[in-house]
Amino acid sequence: MRIFQNLNVDFLGKRKLFYAISGALLLFGIINVIFRGLEFGVDFKGGSEIVLQFQKQVDISEIRNNVQNIGLADAEVKTFGGETGVLIRTELQEIPREIYPVIIDKIEKTINDNFPGFEKSVIDSSSSSVTYQFSNPDTTKKLLNILNNEGFDAVGASVEPDNREIIVSVGIADWIEENLREKMADNPFEILKEDKVGPKVGSELKEDAVIAIFLSLVVILLYLAFRFKFIFALGAVVSLFHNVLITLGLFSILYNVIPGLNLEIDLTIVAAFLTLIGYSINDTVVIFDRIRENLKIHKTVPLFDIINKSVSQTMSRTVLTGGTTLLTLLVLTIFGGEVLRAFAFTLFFGIIIGTYSSIFVAGALVYEYANRSQKKIQF
Amino acid sequence: MKEFRFRLILIIAFIALSVYMLFPTYTDYQNTKNISETINKEKTEIKVSEPNITIDELNTRLKLIEDSIKVADPSIEEAKQKRVKLGLDLQGGMRVVLEVNTGKLLEKLAKDPDQVFKDILNDAQQEASLSDESVVDIVARKFQEKGVRLSRYFGSVRDDDDDITSELKSDAEDAVTRAMEIIRNRVDQYGVAEPSIQRQGGRRIVVELPGVAHEEEAKQLLQGTALLEFRLVKEPEFTISVMQKVDEVLAGKVIDDTTKTDSSLASTNADTTVVDTTQKELSEEEFRQEHPFFATAMINPQGNNADAYVKEDERAKLLSMLNRPEVQNVMPNNVEFVFSAKPVTVQDGKEIYQLYLVNRKPELTGGVITDANANIDPNTSAPIVSMTMNSEGATEWARITGANVNKRIAIILDGVVFSAPNVNQKIVGGRSQIEGMENMEEAKLLEIVLKAGALPAPVDIIEERAVGPSLGEDSINKGVLSGVAGFFITVLFLIAYYQRSGSVASFALFFTILFTLGVMASFNATLTLPGIAGIILTITMSIDSNVLIYERIREELAVGKTVKASIDSGFSRALTAIIDSNVTTFFTGIILYQFGTGPIQGFALTLMIGIVASMFSALVITRIVLDYMVYKGAKITVG
Repeated sequence: MRIFQNLNVDFLGKRKLFYAISGALLLFGIINVIFRGLEFGVDFKGGSEIVLQFQKQVDISEIRNNVQNIGLADAEVKTFGGETGVLIRTELQEIPREIYPVIIDKIEKTINDNFPGFEKSVIDSSSSSVTYQFSNPDTTKKLLNILNNEGFDAVGASVEPDNREIIVSVGIADWIEENLREKMADNPFEILKEDKVGPKVGSELKEDAVIAIFLSLVVILLYLAFRFKFIFALGAVVSLFHNVLITLGLFSILYNVIPGLNLEIDLTIVAAFLTLIGYSINDTVVIFDRIRENLKIHKTVPLFDIINKSVSQTMSRTVLTGGTTLLTLLVLTIFGGEVLRAFAFTLFFGIIIGTYSSIFVAGALVYEYANRSQKKIQF
Repeated sequence: MKEFRFRLILIIAFIALSVYMLFPTYTDYQNTKNISETINKEKTEIKVSEPNITIDELNTRLKLIEDSIKVADPSIEEAKQKRVKLGLDLQGGMRVVLEVNTGKLLEKLAKDPDQVFKDILNDAQQEASLSDESVVDIVARKFQEKGVRLSRYFGSVRDDDDDITSELKSDAEDAVTRAMEIIRNRVDQYGVAEPSIQRQGGRRIVVELPGVAHEEEAKQLLQGTALLEFRLVKEPEFTISVMQKVDEVLAGKVIDDTTKTDSSLASTNADTTVVDTTQKELSEEEFRQEHPFFATAMINPQGNNADAYVKEDERAKLLSMLNRPEVQNVMPNNVEFVFSAKPVTVQDGKEIYQLYLVNRKPELTGGVITDANANIDPNTSAPIVSMTMNSEGATEWARITGANVNKRIAIILDGVVFSAPNVNQKIVGGRSQIEGMENMEEAKLLEIVLKAGALPAPVDIIEERAVGPSLGEDSINKGVLSGVAGFFITVLFLIAYYQRSGSVASFALFFTILFTLGVMASFNATLTLPGIAGIILTITMSIDSNVLIYERIREELAVGKTVKASIDSGFSRALTAIIDSNVTTFFTGIILYQFGTGPIQGFALTLMIGIVASMFSALVITRIVLDYMVYKGAKITVG
């Protein structure tokens, strides 16, 4: 079997068309990024995110109502994976001031209901936990069990048998969990995942991500400039940048459009972007390598023809490798599970764009420069 | 044939090494499966026989069963140690980033902080939450702006601001070290398998606790205040008699569970030391039967104390022995056994811990310590730690040391012994000196421990990620499923498109995966969920080299070269493209590794290893098979 045998297409002749396509994609992406914005995950925004797995199917709006009723109006609630998974996210770092006393009341009511008149004192309280001290160790132990059964997150302050202190958590995730356990008593759940990121950490991670992407572009620029010519390196990096921007635009366009696909930008997506850079450069380098070789062999043939010829010669390889990679990514998108879905999806589209730009854009940019500066490129 | 020999040996060596490296992973997988089957069976049995059992109790019982299986067969643990590690996202667990709260620390350090101080501190903390400047610097600047000298709150009156600032900075640094040591100590005791505690930057600590999914347990390990106690170590005679009693009970010799007093203990002659029993020419097995306690906790017959020595892998066993109700019954209730925090020595590759019998009630707790310093004694040039107490503590200390001259006092942090120095004389004035550390590191550690009791290191959790075990399991299954599917799609394609040489490439592809996993196992690298994605991507990206080569060979064949010549020039002409494209991808892998944490680093790692492995497979394995086919005159089809 053979594809693209003896292919000879005038890619460069149609480069204006491809510039137009790329320009349109970029513009459309940028407009979307500006007007619709990009949705950042908890990694970059800071806040809490919990993923719950219920035993039976859940009604997402019921959970949304429940979460809103407990004073977390701006929390985001959506499905995760199948119909039993729920993701709840809030940007809040800690329990809002006005809810705090409600939680304390609830804890104390549980204590009073079970052991009326049991002597207790609060010995420490912070925005995420309250520590009680009681008068005798045995009752403390019983109470600990009761509190846990009621859905509170409570632990003894020490493992010593004479422990008389209990720490009850009142973090935002605990509050949500505690309430849902109570309201959805007929449909128990387990916690699949819980992430809490402080605001400072979030902004640092964002900074790191941007640095990592730019750094990788610079490193590629340097390596290719060393192995080829600076103009080749520049052409490759510009087309990489173009790939990243278009894929980013796609994120903005498709956010919340496809059900079951959470397109928020988080650490994993940044990893996908870096992989995308690594993969697309592969494609471009293979084509450039052929151009370099052909330039060495056919010293008199104009660059225009060399580029066309090289792209045609490598076309079968570009399509084959790209095609199998896309197939695998499709498998990963469908069967890889919720956690990897967005990652695989990003790469899937990124690689389509990347393959496109390797074929139609990168070489054209090199030609454009050589043509304008009237320089002859030689190896 | 000779031309193949070297390459063949190389390939076989790599394959053998990979298989060898991956074998423990396979064994561990089997072990885990067997253990969980046994546990599940026991679980149903217990549930049937005791329907009223509480979940806690059931879990404790099952844990005991699991431990006993593991203790019985050390190879289980060995395989576990050597297997490919799974990341937190696959096996479940927590990752927590802690930051030392410098503001709180400054407040603790300050001499009578007043409202002015608190206002400035609050202000500074607000500013610090948004900037990268250190809290100490901000506080210093704010004081200057207000025209208040730092010496009003810190250091002595004559110190100038710069000295105090640098002093405070080193205090803040110390706090991080202290917090790390406290956390490490607790995590070790808690028995988390393969915890990782690392310092990140100036005042952050990254703690990874695999398998700990319950957030509260983890928080308690990380955030609670440390408890430093001074407890009296019991005299050797008494300790030996208690140990013998325990030993007898465990061997099933004593059945009287009513006597809980010391009378029965006193009757056991303290002179009959363990030496006698060991000399009875018992085989090791018999000795274990007769003296279960002394077989685990060994005593040095020549030693001048009765501290026992326990191998690291027998600690759990000993603890479960000591926790048995019949043993608890014969133990005097004012004493308990405690372990040393660090191994005292290493024997036959196993770390040995010391076991002390100490009073339950502390003589004194760490709050009275005002300072501790590790130093070199100018006279003996041996490391020493000097410890200062406040006046209240000093009075107590004088009484305690006076009453216990020539006895030992154990310094216990969060339940484990860091040092048990002998009291040489009554110490008045609250300044003590501890000697006998082997090196300066040990002295430094003791300094940290002593300070931990006095000056807590307040930490805030600034990032917390927890993955439940079921999500991890689900992820593994889906990852493996996609991997297998990806592999078969690729193989089908290769064979359909390149026919016979396609099968050669598929064969090489299989080894790419084997090598990638093998290298991961030998580097002790961690496999994460994105790492699995990395391997899947490697599968497809690695056929790129093969595609490049085969396309070239086709071109060469098309211009009329012989098969042998086409293969030769196909490989050599594809080489530059393969190297250049893989090197650039490798670079992004390095950057990804630098940028990412946990899961993403796992991805970067598999990507990089995969690149190298795939180049090896394509350039060496595919080549040798094709060359051999040419040599044998076999028909080679490139589609």
